[in-house]
Amino acid sequence: MNLPTKVFNKGRNMSVRTKIMKKSVAALILFSIMILPHYAYAGVAAETVHRYADKVLDVLRDPVLKAESSKKIKKEKIRLIADDMFDFTELSKRTLAQNWNRFDSSQQKEFIHLFKSLLADAYADKILAYTNERIVFSKEIQYSDNTAEVRSTVISKTAEIPINYRVILKGTEWKVYDVVIEGVSLVNNYRSQFKEILLNKSPESLLETLRKKVGKS
Amino acid sequence: MKAVNILLMLSALMLSPSVLMADVSLPDPNVEQCVAPPVLIALQSASDDNNRQIVLPDAATAGNLQISFGETVPIADSQASEDEIMIALTQWNSAEEANGIETTKSESAIIPEEKEVEIADPLFPVNKAMFEFNDKLYFWGIKPVTQVYSHTVPEEFRFAISNVYDNLWAPCRMLNNLFQLRFKAAGNELIRFIFNSFAGIGGMGDMAKEALGIKKQDADFGQTLGHYGVGHGFYLVLPVFGPSSMRDGVGLAADQFMHPLTYVSSNTLTFVEKVGISAHEEVNSTSFKIGDYESFKNAAVDPYVSMRNAFIQHRQHKVELSRQ
Repeated sequence: MNLPTKVFNKGRNMSVRTKIMKKSVAALILFSIMILPHYAYAGVAAETVHRYADKVLDVLRDPVLKAESSKKIKKEKIRLIADDMFDFTELSKRTLAQNWNRFDSSQQKEFIHLFKSLLADAYADKILAYTNERIVFSKEIQYSDNTAEVRSTVISKTAEIPINYRVILKGTEWKVYDVVIEGVSLVNNYRSQFKEILLNKSPESLLETLRKKVGKS
Repeated sequence: MKAVNILLMLSALMLSPSVLMADVSLPDPNVEQCVAPPVLIALQSASDDNNRQIVLPDAATAGNLQISFGETVPIADSQASEDEIMIALTQWNSAEEANGIETTKSESAIIPEEKEVEIADPLFPVNKAMFEFNDKLYFWGIKPVTQVYSHTVPEEFRFAISNVYDNLWAPCRMLNNLFQLRFKAAGNELIRFIFNSFAGIGGMGDMAKEALGIKKQDADFGQTLGHYGVGHGFYLVLPVFGPSSMRDGVGLAADQFMHPLTYVSSNTLTFVEKVGISAHEEVNSTSFKIGDYESFKNAAVDPYVSMRNAFIQHRQHKVELSRQ
């Protein structure tokens, strides 16, 4: 019974021991805080999406690019980030679903390219219309080993809009393959459109429709 | 002394990541648990449609079809629905890159967006015509009026007006929440109604959200019907109101009966005046959304189908929210 106390007190008096104890606890707490990742509820997927979102916001908030004339520069910068953030091949495959195999490989490549342009044209202006809304990332849900959903909310003056990103692990990088806004999935929506069109038309005519649409804007 | 410290440090190291990741690995009660059918369908030859066959790696079910190990079934004979094949196909396509053509026995959870949401559209010609009508109505009627209105009335006023109208819908939301047996939400809407009507001076300010932090609990009768399992019936495009369905059309009508203005006697407000008030409400709320329809059309390859699909996805989402 006496032995443990003897061991602890060996060669030290009470006050010094307390001091060292306090220092160690402080160091421990500091160390723990340092190794904490930045975001609670964050897995790697959520962090990745958050990072990309931050990059886009940086471009949008850049005071150097505030002028109307720098719109093109902003668009280009955001397009580069989107190229990195999204996996357009995965997106294209999922929107064509069964019909993917009706396209030969050169048509598939063209489809991916056209679809990317279509989305860029469609959403560029919406993104550029950003006026200081807050984006809050809330949680990440794992669907399987390589798929997950990252939830966020865009808080504007008039509304709070839930936007979820579905991500897939390609190699070591998480890429976005679907965006779900207020419960409406982009992939699902385009899939229904392409399905309807390809019921009666050939892949080539869909490509022609897309070419015309993208060419117009 | 040192040993205790090291032990503490090690345990902190081990615990903290897991504490933080805890939320990631826990099944989210908000997410519909994707129950996987124990099937991963592998396609023997993807190129030739006619010769495509299904080989199931395990005793499994595909739709109504029970197949045992190793049996091959030509697709034409299978009763597996098109959707299930499509789900498996999409799965296969993504698995293809990761694993080569080999099938894996691992999880084949249905990823949410693979769930097909479909609606019958027997009135397609009528609906399409109505869709075109609404389109013209927007560009030739509603949009010009709304633009003039936005230029005339400053944003803060329009905002306050939209709050007033929103407040008048509170009884409807409260009742629908009650019908859905969401008592807390119903209570919240009641509090919001009373509080906003007084502290928000007739509802002009959403004081309940700002001061009390109580957010709007949206609910409508179409959602209530969906909550109890009533299906859409069929797709219906209404003039002015836009995309709807048999169920949601009934919902819209029922919602009108829960609106205070319906019960104001016709001596105070004639029917035409009531319609005028509704029109004002519509124009006022559209003033915040000018440009939305245009960008929607710009983004869509087939606007009619896109709108129909977005509508049913959105309504399904609302019903799912009501079930939480």
